Amino acid sequence: MPGNALISSYLRGLRRRLPAGLADEVSDGLIEAYQQHLASGQSADAAARAAVTETGDLGQVVGEFTRQAPGRSTARALLAIGPVVGGCWIATRWWAWPTPAAARLGFTAALLLMISALAIAATSRHSYRRTRLTAAAGPGLVILDATVITAALVAPALSWPLVIAVAASLTRMALTLTALPRITTA
Amino acid sequence: MKAEAQVLKGHLDMLLLATLENGPRHGYAVREALRAASRSRFDLPTGTIYPALRRLETAGLVKGRWSAEGGRRRRTYELTAAGRRRLAGDRAAWRDFTSVVSAILEPASCPATP
Repeated sequence: MPGNALISSYLRGLRRRLPAGLADEVSDGLIEAYQQHLASGQSADAAARAAVTETGDLGQVVGEFTRQAPGRSTARALLAIGPVVGGCWIATRWWAWPTPAAARLGFTAALLLMISALAIAATSRHSYRRTRLTAAAGPGLVILDATVITAALVAPALSWPLVIAVAASLTRMALTLTALPRITTA
Repeated sequence: MKAEAQVLKGHLDMLLLATLENGPRHGYAVREALRAASRSRFDLPTGTIYPALRRLETAGLVKGRWSAEGGRRRRTYELTAAGRRRLAGDRAAWRDFTSVVSAILEPASCPATP
């Protein structure tokens, strides 16, 4: 790591606010610029200022990455299809199933928690870390879908709304599981 | 005079693909290639270029790979077959667009009607 304080501070900021792969990439460009300005005869401080200017404001760099983070776009997609899946389950009148009230309450609380986490990830504009809430909320949603599908097995009777709701949940589970690797590796 | 950043952003993907047409480059080299080819008019911060390269990679238009350079990790990008097709399409569309606009802007191309 270069000994210049401005460069070191910028690199620390990158490490703190971006995943390692993204921070490494921007760091490489910053150091390359710094070294080229040093080689052209500038002082260390002038070279550091020029390199930081060429790289851009740290907040702006983090914001650019955040707005296209896979966790953010996946959270938006899940929030968009959520009402459709939820509507399918409402059509089954699931509350009439013989399930304990505590289980229903726990399910609803967990669902609200997942929705809140997804909403934070979906609306994040300057915090990459927040977009990674989808990596936790996504599997949580898969578990909730699996739970409600399992509960459907004890439903009083098979009906078309039930079949459609199960298909909707299975589709959401597949979409979520497909998107998760991109979120965890980005 | 620097070009307007917002106007440039609208064409950024095409320009980035063009800088990779002749071979792989890392992000800083892409920035320098853009700056040199535009005679310093397009002087984008690299912090804008890296996210755009990642977006192009997600879209399958470029492929990135890591290497080691001077004790640090470096990500280099190259065009994929889909990226080459996109660039060819964008280039043809751009040339068509600019030729039409240029024809309209010629002083004698829009005579006044009585």
